[in-house]
Amino acid sequence: MKLRDTVTIALKAVTGNRARSLLTMLGIIIGVGAVVLMTSVGESMQSVILGQISALGPKTVAIWPGKNGPEQGAATLNPDFDSITMNDIEALRRLKTIAYVTPVIFMPGKVKYGTEESDVTVSGTTPDSYINQPIIATEGRLHDEQDELNGRQVAVLGPDTARDLFGNSSPIGKRIDIGNQKFTVIGVLEAKGSQFFQNMDERILVPFETARVASQRSYVDMVGTMATGDIADAINDIQFLLRRRHHIIPPTTGIATDNDDFLVRSAEQAQEILGTVSTSLTAFITMIATVSLVVGGIGIMNIMLVAVTERTREIGLRKALGANRNDILLQFLIEAIVLTLLGGIIGLLLGLGMNALVVGIASKFLERYIFAVNFIAMAAALLMAAGTGLAFGIYPARKAAGLNPIEALRYE
Amino acid sequence: MTKKESAPLIETKNLHKSYFNEQVETPVLFDINLRIDAGEFVAIMGPSGSGKSTLMHILGFLDVPTKGHYHFKGESTEEKTEDELARIRSSSVSFVFQSFNLLPRTSVIDNVTLPLLYHSGTHPSQRREKAMKAIKAVGLTDRATYLSNQLSGGQQQRVAIARALVTEPGVIFADEPTGNLDSAAGKHVMEILQNLHEEGHTIILVTHEKTTAEHAARIIRIMDGRIVADDRTFERRIASQVKELK
Repeated sequence: MKLRDTVTIALKAVTGNRARSLLTMLGIIIGVGAVVLMTSVGESMQSVILGQISALGPKTVAIWPGKNGPEQGAATLNPDFDSITMNDIEALRRLKTIAYVTPVIFMPGKVKYGTEESDVTVSGTTPDSYINQPIIATEGRLHDEQDELNGRQVAVLGPDTARDLFGNSSPIGKRIDIGNQKFTVIGVLEAKGSQFFQNMDERILVPFETARVASQRSYVDMVGTMATGDIADAINDIQFLLRRRHHIIPPTTGIATDNDDFLVRSAEQAQEILGTVSTSLTAFITMIATVSLVVGGIGIMNIMLVAVTERTREIGLRKALGANRNDILLQFLIEAIVLTLLGGIIGLLLGLGMNALVVGIASKFLERYIFAVNFIAMAAALLMAAGTGLAFGIYPARKAAGLNPIEALRYE
Repeated sequence: MTKKESAPLIETKNLHKSYFNEQVETPVLFDINLRIDAGEFVAIMGPSGSGKSTLMHILGFLDVPTKGHYHFKGESTEEKTEDELARIRSSSVSFVFQSFNLLPRTSVIDNVTLPLLYHSGTHPSQRREKAMKAIKAVGLTDRATYLSNQLSGGQQQRVAIARALVTEPGVIFADEPTGNLDSAAGKHVMEILQNLHEEGHTIILVTHEKTTAEHAARIIRIMDGRIVADDRTFERRIASQVKELK
């Protein structure tokens, strides 16, 4: 018998009882659908994050005052963290392995324009930060060395902040209140979207010197910089310098120590951490998919055993008409594979459809969230579905092939 | 002329068949010595439980004897494997069953094509043509696209006969072919079988009904697993009856 005939028979059997076939395939549909959806979401998220990292610049290194762990790094707004001083900044600027050392001070106080008010973060930073995280002004200009040297009361607004405070009218030349001081708006930044779940379009940048004088501080909230060469060398130099200056005993093993009063992170490290997260997520999805496919496979085996019993006479007849063991074995095996493969294809389409829905919703919140699929995961899911059909179809198929034709023909 | 061509189509020597159920032996056939030539129309007749169906199953390669010899077209069949027996069933024999055994919800043409799927001698492109020829032979050309369950019992059995014809086998086994039919439909089916015999087909009919058996030119009576009569006299009588009718 030709393989084509066997596939035709299998398709007829599967489509002959659509409701039952669909219910049988459900486990496979859900398994494959889940894998396709989850890996696609993972792929989209990864592209979002990679986009953010490349927007940030992969050589970007950030230094925060604080204790070990990224959680404590977030405690930078706590004014008690005064570990990184202006003198540290000067020392960092002398390092050869880094360039564009840009200290940041967050200015407290509400932002006001007329009756409009905003809780937007105001960062005092040097013009070097526009090189560090490359960004341009779409309107007006960015602040420059002259603004910095003279400690001018000028502000550059993120596009969202500009819209919040000024609506559709141009903010250039307008005066806003930050805390109890007046600032003149000189520029609006280009839209950047979110970076690491932070809206980069909702912020105000002012000259560092202005913020330092206004807050009367000798320490900074953050330092941004860029490695000139190898990132690991840059991090080593920063750690060595700051530990020496802060009289911290360097660790004997590893790179960090509990004694450190600062944190150094690179965009590359962030990428690595996200990579680890994505790997464990993939492992988790694979596990769920495997369980789902095994459960689906048992369902297939069950229904195939029922089919063999129901069609005992048919098997007897086929044998009487000249079918041999292999013909019958293949017929039922291919039927099981057709069931699982069809389930896999339906699951794949369902997963893609759901993904399109997720993309539709997520792209409203995440600028760079685009439709992405993991072709390897899709192919693997389909292959696993077919494999499930093969593995769980073999027992019923062998049972069918082993039937005695006379007994099978007599079966009621 | 080779030895094979001169040999009878079917020849058995001291054929025995026993069934074993948990080591308890139940003998069904004893010492069957039989010779059937190509082109014969033979009825194997006997009451229920006489072993006639078992004999047909062995002769049709659906079952194997416990002891004795079975030569088919001059060739011994004792050493055949399961797959070799399947190949003989596919190429040389075919069956018409009491309960038709058509695939339900499947068209007449697909039912008739079924044996060709397992028939190595038929190219897929020839299947339809062969099936239509067989369907024409049983007078169902206008029903070819009907589903099997849309037909009457008599028509279904004619489809089964077409299915038996389609591979052009050496011998057609008919197991109580009229058993599930009313007398008119049964008569029609027997007429078709008789026509096939006249066209040169070998037909082996298994029945418990004397009236059905009388369509055959030779009646082998079987009782309690033994052949008790092999009556060829009917051959002449039928011939004279046919003459009278004409």
